[in-house]
Amino acid sequence: MASSAPLVDHISGLLNLEGLLGEVVAGILGSVLVAVIVLLFAAIAGPYMKRKLTAAFTDRIAVDRVGPYGILTIAVDAIRLLTKERIVPENVDRPAWDIGPMLVVISATMGFAVIPFGNGIHLADPQVGVVYLFAVSSIASLGIVSGAYASNNKYSMLGGLRGVSQNIAYEIPLVLTGASAVLFAGSLRISDIVAAQSATLFSIGPVSVPAWFGFVNPFAFALFMVANMAEIGRNPFDLPEAPNDLVAGYQTEYSSVYFVLFYLGEFLHIFLGAGIITTLFLGGPTAPVSALSFIPGIVWFIAKVWGVFFFTQWARSGVPRVRPDQLLDIGWKGMLGLAFVNLFLTAVLIGVIV
Amino acid sequence: MSMQDEPESETTEEGVDYDALESALGDAVVGRETHKNAEAFVVRGDRVTDALSTLKAQGFDHLASLTGQDYEDRYESIYHLRQYDDAQKEVSVIVPTPRDDPSHESATEVFSTANWHEREAYDLVGINYDDHPDLKRILLPQSWTGHPLSKDYDQDKPQIVTLEKHKNPIEEDMEIEKPGDDLDTMFLNIGPHHPATHGVLHLKTVLDGEQVADVEPDIGYLHRCQEQMCEKSTFRHQIMPYPDRWDYTPAGIINEWAYARTAEELADIEVPEYAQVIRTMAAELNRISAHLLAVATFGLDIVGDFAAVFMYAMRDRDIVMDILEDLTGQRMMYNYFRLGGVVWDLPEPRDEFFEKIRQFLEAVPEKTDEYHNVLSQNELFQMRTVNTGYLAPEVAKDYGATGPVARASGVDYDLRRDDPYGIYDELDWEVVTREGGDNYARLMVRMREVEESARIIEQCIEMLEDWPEDEREIQSNVPRSLKPDPGQEIYKAVEGAKGELGIYIRTDGTDKPARFKVRGPSFVNLSALKEMSEGELISDLVATIGSLDIVLAEVDR
Repeated sequence: MASSAPLVDHISGLLNLEGLLGEVVAGILGSVLVAVIVLLFAAIAGPYMKRKLTAAFTDRIAVDRVGPYGILTIAVDAIRLLTKERIVPENVDRPAWDIGPMLVVISATMGFAVIPFGNGIHLADPQVGVVYLFAVSSIASLGIVSGAYASNNKYSMLGGLRGVSQNIAYEIPLVLTGASAVLFAGSLRISDIVAAQSATLFSIGPVSVPAWFGFVNPFAFALFMVANMAEIGRNPFDLPEAPNDLVAGYQTEYSSVYFVLFYLGEFLHIFLGAGIITTLFLGGPTAPVSALSFIPGIVWFIAKVWGVFFFTQWARSGVPRVRPDQLLDIGWKGMLGLAFVNLFLTAVLIGVIV
Repeated sequence: MSMQDEPESETTEEGVDYDALESALGDAVVGRETHKNAEAFVVRGDRVTDALSTLKAQGFDHLASLTGQDYEDRYESIYHLRQYDDAQKEVSVIVPTPRDDPSHESATEVFSTANWHEREAYDLVGINYDDHPDLKRILLPQSWTGHPLSKDYDQDKPQIVTLEKHKNPIEEDMEIEKPGDDLDTMFLNIGPHHPATHGVLHLKTVLDGEQVADVEPDIGYLHRCQEQMCEKSTFRHQIMPYPDRWDYTPAGIINEWAYARTAEELADIEVPEYAQVIRTMAAELNRISAHLLAVATFGLDIVGDFAAVFMYAMRDRDIVMDILEDLTGQRMMYNYFRLGGVVWDLPEPRDEFFEKIRQFLEAVPEKTDEYHNVLSQNELFQMRTVNTGYLAPEVAKDYGATGPVARASGVDYDLRRDDPYGIYDELDWEVVTREGGDNYARLMVRMREVEESARIIEQCIEMLEDWPEDEREIQSNVPRSLKPDPGQEIYKAVEGAKGELGIYIRTDGTDKPARFKVRGPSFVNLSALKEMSEGELISDLVATIGSLDIVLAEVDR
């Protein structure tokens, strides 16, 4: 039986610390490590890669002024954003207004606790890992509503309402499709799901392709990708923000640090979504063909996660945004039905084969 | 007046029988004047509706413009009417009204487009229109006192706005009156600072959920007294730079042509054929740049602020702007036309210049294909735009819509063909129309018009290349100080990038116009927004503003 907190156990083993003290110290160190990795992702993605990618899609060069390839833009932007005046509008509902942006970030970072990064970086591995993952990541909509409603701004309120209706509409197909991966692995535990995907699907000569769930059931993978776009609020489903309709949606009234929190939360959510996709459908940190297994798992994990991020930015430049009524039509009439069909078919397949 | 000797019921060369019209109008007519562009009937102030409906029944279904002005002894509204089917058939209706009580019947019952025109005349000139549904200021702030274009306006009097009057506009929130005092609706100010209003446009919107229950555009934030500035400037040189500042997308050369055409007709100035070809080519280049910007920003409105198509179209528009820079020395504010021609000849070496344009023209089909590929052929894009922002043809005519907006509703009206100027009637090109009437149709019409403009430019280049060197006359002989005969009135229009760009000028014998009125196509097209977006969602409203392609500088002037 695998440990329920692999990284923590590993660190406490290294430090030779036993008992409660060891668990606490190792737990903090482990969390810091994971947090630093994901915050680095967001820092590179938000002020830098996003601009570079959008520029590449639109025939431009973008940030190239500060540092080699403009990489120091990240530092410059961080200082710029954090030193701006924090404006608190009149009549905002104070505790709720402050809690909103924090909830968004907290929800996203908590999700990473159960994602295996490869090479033993896996903070916690509870029995109900998948349920925890979906539960925690959807707390973000609470933060959006809280901030939007407390802002005392009509655009924010419309954005918040859109955010909620969108999350309800797409959370169900998302979880149902995720459940088909759980059926496939026969466990809610994330390490089991990853392990189930490392089995060999087929071999061509010396090259053996693992049974990633995305290969086994591409339909579920596509469905999950689409539902995930709505869940993280990217084109064509970026309606809660929708700058052209709603100025900036739920984050209209936020500036400075609070804006950074929303912005950071958004990018953490993209990466959390990418992490979930990687874990449930792309075999987590395993290599796509066994011959490439000598490359460390964390490299594969990062490559996959950034691949999904790349996809979201591509959609952002190329795909028109849908209208709120169309969004709900697609969610309730299309995605929900397809998710049930997918779940049923997966259950039948597994029942027949196994 | 050679017409005087001919029999009474004779029609003019445009085919309008003014005498028959006068007898149809009956006792509403109290006099008749001859303007440079058409005959004008002087109509009693209490018979405006009658007179206009009679003329509308006779085929004059396009209220192109309304000019308000004042003389020493009277105020006057001039309704410029023409026909959508034959734009050369024009007639004007003059409604004089006394100085001490300037008011007469409103035309809003006959033409919906009169609503905004009359508000503007009320705002700037001070004529009251009885029974107007909503007679309030349109370009100036509601708190303004006096009417700046009237003769008794004191320009030196400061406009003092008390704090009470200058209250927070959102305060009206609670006062908004809806049928049955509906608490389910929400009042929302869209703009003047909003990413999707294409400038400083303010929409007072009443929302039911996300559905638009009512929308009222509030304009005037970019009002720069352009008409008044033109009235203070001389015909010969000083007015020409102003038109560049109306539709700056940039379509400045077409705007310049509107003034050039009006003033040349007024002062009987001939334009050399060579200059006309250059004018036509430059104007069509400008139309391409304006339409590319419209396509680009529409993509921005639908796709979001990272739209690839936006930068693609901007990139291609930049090539056009480079060409125009070679030609005029400027990228936006060209000031290239002169009365009687253009300011200078094509840049040397000419072959290089032609080659540059040719290269662009050859790439146009490929570029439009690319736009169709990334924008109009996308299913999601079609979901968003097809059957949204619908404008029925009869509504379009009622609101005086022109340009791509009208043509996308199936109204076959293009002044380049219907009231030809330049060398358009010698060239082989088509007027683009579509039946859809929705946001999608408006985009497609603009895309096709880019291709048609490319065709026109190509033919112009062919003509210019073979032009003998000693016949390259770019300007006719125009007196240094131009003083047209006094008492002349004219309304003339060209096909701007957004539609009928008309100018009315009255002369008083000096070298400056006594009245200079601009009919901005964006101003008129925008007034139809309410018809197009009520009952639709807020996202559709944003898309509709995008597809209307308004330029606030032209709306507010």
